[in-house]
Amino acid sequence: MHWRPKLRAVSSRKPPRAKNRRSRHVLLTVVIAVTAIGAACSAKETSRPSDSSKPLATVVAASDTDDFGVRFPMDTLVAARVVSLVPAATEIIFAIGRGNRLIGRTTWDLFPDSARLVANLGDGIRPNIEVVLAARPTLVVLYASTENRAAAAAFRKAGIAVMAIRVDRIADFERLTKQLGVTLNAQRRAQQVVDTVTATLQKVRTVCADAGKPTVVWPLFESPVYVVGKGSFLSELLDIAGAANIFADMEKPSPEVSVEEIAHRDPAFLLTSPSSVNRMEANATWQSVRAVREQHILLVDTLLVSRPTVTLGMAAVSLARLLHPDCASSLP
Amino acid sequence: MTNKGAARNAASARSTLVPAMVAGLAALAVLCVLALAIGSVSLPLQDVVSALGGSGDATVVSIVRDSRAPRVLLAALVGAGLSMSGGALQGTLRNPLAEPYLLGVSGGAAVGAVLASAFGIGSAFGVTMAAFAGAAFATLSVSLIARVVGGRTDTRMLLMAGVVVGAFANAVIIVALSGLPADSLRGALWWMMGSVHDASWAGVGRMGAALAVFGGALLWLARELDVLALGEEPAAALGANVDRTSRQIFLLASFLAAATVAAAGLVGFVGLVVPNIARALGARSHRPMMLLSAVYGAALLVFADLLARTVRSPTQLPLGAITALIGVPFFLARLRKLT
Repeated sequence: MHWRPKLRAVSSRKPPRAKNRRSRHVLLTVVIAVTAIGAACSAKETSRPSDSSKPLATVVAASDTDDFGVRFPMDTLVAARVVSLVPAATEIIFAIGRGNRLIGRTTWDLFPDSARLVANLGDGIRPNIEVVLAARPTLVVLYASTENRAAAAAFRKAGIAVMAIRVDRIADFERLTKQLGVTLNAQRRAQQVVDTVTATLQKVRTVCADAGKPTVVWPLFESPVYVVGKGSFLSELLDIAGAANIFADMEKPSPEVSVEEIAHRDPAFLLTSPSSVNRMEANATWQSVRAVREQHILLVDTLLVSRPTVTLGMAAVSLARLLHPDCASSLP
Repeated sequence: MTNKGAARNAASARSTLVPAMVAGLAALAVLCVLALAIGSVSLPLQDVVSALGGSGDATVVSIVRDSRAPRVLLAALVGAGLSMSGGALQGTLRNPLAEPYLLGVSGGAAVGAVLASAFGIGSAFGVTMAAFAGAAFATLSVSLIARVVGGRTDTRMLLMAGVVVGAFANAVIIVALSGLPADSLRGALWWMMGSVHDASWAGVGRMGAALAVFGGALLWLARELDVLALGEEPAAALGANVDRTSRQIFLLASFLAAATVAAAGLVGFVGLVVPNIARALGARSHRPMMLLSAVYGAALLVFADLLARTVRSPTQLPLGAITALIGVPFFLARLRKLT
């Protein structure tokens, strides 16, 4: 097992100089500390504009600065060939009548049906840069996450305009729709889409305003437990549909909580997907939540409500029908 | 052994080493050309050559020069670094199953990268520096623990300290990951699976410099490694300062591994498998072994990256998964041979 290298005589050497062991350790420590400080002082994450909940009536203007804080050209000539790596953006582009400009989408862009005819370029997070470049787009719509910064830089270096976006809130959807409307020369249509969605949301809010406000919890995953928090458009939809999210005091879009905490806050209803309800009911831990114990579980059409895009109005209607069935006849 | 026998052995070793080195370099060259031409988008070789010179279709030039070329080079440099590091550590520890990740390097680097994500450091340079700092800190901790517990640089203590530091690092990583938002969590997990997806010319420069400095130092200490491989007592009898030399080589090999982890995340099995391949090809002394390991390690990782980006194109697989799929069968075969 043990190999033996060929032995050569070790040439006589001068005795090593006495080394200052402490100074070496100090030097190494300083090098590591400087490296760590350099890392900490490197390019900072560009923070998105703080997005406190806005009333629906606020006019959201199109901006030429994306969610990486970089200006992108609003020139309509730029948007002749578009690759959309964000499902919400793909839906919006079709909704404003510019689906013919799309030359690439992600694997997850399944709506509308026409989107499936567009070339599948892979993932939207850490996209395949070669494949996107080979499609020769003039504009790439990219999800503004940390991992996509390198891709955004690579596309810009190749002379492609990049619009990096995040759609966490209803106001983000409005802003994105107007940005795409300007860039794709479909401003009027984009405004129509925004107005339609806004009107539907307002109608739902009005209908449900006097219907009571039951407390709800909406676990997105049951193990570990991630719930809808204040920072998500889902929490806004719950508010519009006449429900009080028990975790609306948590700023994150999907904070992690414990089942104990849910039991302690005692929601009247629990919203979940059809695929999760059986697991929850079979799990003894969840029986500590009164809403589960007493079968006050509402099944959500997750395909409809989990998309922060042109279907927001219908999503609010769907939730309102679940929460206030008596008001169904008054809903759009 | 007689002088004639020693000379015969030397000639025999050279007769296998030279062809092995030539074959390795040829394989590396062919793989690099293939990796530049093949990808999610296949490019004619002529276009690739033109693009490397900066001429031709702008999109092809962008794909070749800004996306593929740095990626291929970084994969080669990381493979070379991991292999040299593994070879040096196997010699120091006198254990052919040792590899850089056993000694806490990977855990420390992962802690650095995950903490960088947790503090919102999003730039590739920032994550790289944080990972290197974490790996370097883990390396020094292992060395210090081994010296404090063992009284000197005891190789068994190094291994045990490495396992302990690695376990502690894993615990820190899990705690850090549990509090990360979904976006940062995804990025941290992807980093931990190894990838050269975000390769840049700046990153290639940094890794090249690390390989030149740490790898060059290891090659310079190769003769001392040969002596250490005889065992502590024979080495001491030959006049070697076992404690100091072991410590130097351990630190250099670990820093080289730290640089590879900082550049490409956690890519396992390369540092374990390739030095054993080099020895199987006839490399007995550590200098030719490390040089051969560097060439074959570079070729292996270029090949693994080529697979990672073509097998399920346009989706890209993590590099660490490919090297594990290649390395595990080899590891099992080697383990069986040793028993």
